Amino acid sequence: MTELKKKICMVGGFGVGKTSLVRRFVFSIFEDRYLTTVGVKIDRKDVVVGSTSLTLVLWDLAGEDDLAQLAVSHLRGAHGYILVADGCRASTLAKAVELHQRITDQLGPLPCVLVLNKADLREQWEVEPANASEHGWPVFETSAKSGAGVEEMFQALARLLLSEGQ
Amino acid sequence: MSLLAALGYAVFERTPSGTLVPAEAAAAWAPAGDVSNAFPFLEIFLPDAEDFWANPAGRTALYSDFWTQADSDGNERQFSAIAIAGERQFLLIERAERRLAEMRSAVQYAHEVSLARDQIAKLNREIERATQAKSEFLARMSHEIRTPLNALLGIGELLAETPLNEPQSEYVRILRSAGDNLLAVINDVLDFSKVEAGRIELENTAFDLSDVVAVAASIAAVRAKAKGLDLTTRIHADVPKYLTGDPARLRQILLNLLGNATKFTARGGISVVVEKDSDRPDEGALHFAVSDTGIGIPADRIASIFESFSQAAASTTRQYGGTGLGLAISKRFVELMGGRIWAESKVGIGTTIHFTASFGLADAPPTSPGHPATSKQTRALRILLADDSAENRFLIRSYLEGSGSVIDEVDDGAPAVERFAQRAYDLVLLDSDMPVLDGYSAAVKIRAIERENNAAPTPIFALTAHVWKQAEERSFAAGCTAHLTKPLKRSTLLEAIQKFVPELRAEPVVAAEVEPWLRPVIGKYLENRRADVAKLRSALDSGDYAMVRLLGHQMAGTGGGYGFPAISDIGAALEECALASDAARMQAGIAELDRYLLSVETVTRP
Repeated sequence: MTELKKKICMVGGFGVGKTSLVRRFVFSIFEDRYLTTVGVKIDRKDVVVGSTSLTLVLWDLAGEDDLAQLAVSHLRGAHGYILVADGCRASTLAKAVELHQRITDQLGPLPCVLVLNKADLREQWEVEPANASEHGWPVFETSAKSGAGVEEMFQALARLLLSEGQ
Repeated sequence: MSLLAALGYAVFERTPSGTLVPAEAAAAWAPAGDVSNAFPFLEIFLPDAEDFWANPAGRTALYSDFWTQADSDGNERQFSAIAIAGERQFLLIERAERRLAEMRSAVQYAHEVSLARDQIAKLNREIERATQAKSEFLARMSHEIRTPLNALLGIGELLAETPLNEPQSEYVRILRSAGDNLLAVINDVLDFSKVEAGRIELENTAFDLSDVVAVAASIAAVRAKAKGLDLTTRIHADVPKYLTGDPARLRQILLNLLGNATKFTARGGISVVVEKDSDRPDEGALHFAVSDTGIGIPADRIASIFESFSQAAASTTRQYGGTGLGLAISKRFVELMGGRIWAESKVGIGTTIHFTASFGLADAPPTSPGHPATSKQTRALRILLADDSAENRFLIRSYLEGSGSVIDEVDDGAPAVERFAQRAYDLVLLDSDMPVLDGYSAAVKIRAIERENNAAPTPIFALTAHVWKQAEERSFAAGCTAHLTKPLKRSTLLEAIQKFVPELRAEPVVAAEVEPWLRPVIGKYLENRRADVAKLRSALDSGDYAMVRLLGHQMAGTGGGYGFPAISDIGAALEECALASDAARMQAGIAELDRYLLSVETVTRP
């Protein structure tokens, strides 16, 4: 039996918590120190969805900023992607919407979910989850810090990929 | 180990069949087996590398982005890939820790700065929101407190004018003084919050310095005298008499300092000295000193007395009262006047508060009357009063009692507008906050009615418990003539009437000089003229100027005979402007007749 592998990309503005979400999901750890990602970080995690086990290869792409654009070519061969925004910064939701548009323009539609991270700072949020869901994608509220919602989000994406594959 | 391996490179050669095979002894960190399996990142780099190998277009190398992945021990390692083109084709995998670390520190710094900037912008927005909420809260509270206080102080004022026995007078005096104190506290808090929000703007008007000092001293003298203290003022001869600046704020500072001096002094005296500021050359730079022989301020507290909510000791507040805001407000005012404020004190001997301030020079005495007329009574007016508070309506009615004025009272803006459309008034008083139609909207509608009828504007006074500058601006924007804040004092209302309600051209005359046989018919004559007003209006509306001329002519011929020469004059004027088809002047003439009849009716009423 060949191993079932799915390439998933984490995309979004800088400082939204893409790397922290992966670390929480893969290693169950969280570090408060902000360490910006340069290039790509690649991690693997085996998950079981129903009776199917698969390997998620998580591509954590550097957050886009004013100096460096997301290299959409890094998403080549991806089975899906996770748009990450920081609930505390409304500008990061706009960035996620913009990235989604660019990715779709260049690679065609791919399965994706939107994540509003930093749910532990809910009282400081500028983003209304109701407004975030108007784009039609599944929206998850997560906290890489506490772990809340992280597992569920990756599980949901894995289920989405399996159902797409059939 | 090869040189390249020592430098941190693993080298693979691309065979003509397209597979990648190790080109030399592998570095210890390099994975055994298929390289593209070991480095998932290659799945996106190799297609680009193949294009490059097929067509290098003069380039020798193609560099990949950095990537990070865990090695077999779970340690994170950084890599990049380099495709080399030439006679043979190579793929280098580079251990890129050092190169990446340098790059990261620059990017990290840029991102941290950007995140911090976002955070600051967000905090600023929050502070702005909080400040606004506080301002709104204060404005609302001040309104809520000032409205009932208006009724209390006004009724105290009225009560004091009624015959009272001695204990009753004393009770009323205490009641009023407690009310005044409460008002002063509220004003302090409001002033302070305005100062804090940077909302205070100084006036720049001409004033007589000796007047300002004298008024402040005379107010403070009442309390000083009651405590048996002497209060003296001295202005040096070389101090310019006429200045420009904000006399009201200057008086407020002086009153504040004099109030403190009186409060903290049990025996001795208080003095105010004004001289030129010897440290500054300009003529308008002055130095004020308010000295007392009071309890003094301990040396370790002297620096903090100008801070908000501060008195020299907490127990002071209990013993002497006060908000502890007065000096903080004074300090801010002094600073706005380009000066500074400081204290000198010896415990048990006394305190001197010094302050400096810069004023402009005025060459002539101020044009406005220095002392508003203090006439106890106003003339008879027809007044429209709209206020939803029955107490406030009662108060205004009481203030005008004895003037012969007729007051039409309504409890909202909507009926006020209706009444106004039906008849002319000398004055309209509108409370700013009424449940259905507020005073501002009512004023706008009233002005629209006037424009429609080409009528001269009726004075409208806005009555409001809002003391913010914006409230005043809103009143004027709505077309109000004056903005009176509650608690409204009788004297303030009467002064405003004197200032803003135009005198009638002809003083009301009682028909005293007419033949006795005419007297019984005077009432009927006036009634008919009242009916003429309506006829004149409808004639003017329908463009029937001949009718206006006819009615004017009749009045011109009869008014004097009945003892009302003013009616003759108005009639003649109406006749003349009807001939000239001057609608605006006809409108004004009719309004004048209306007002005149009102004054006569009022006076002749039993």
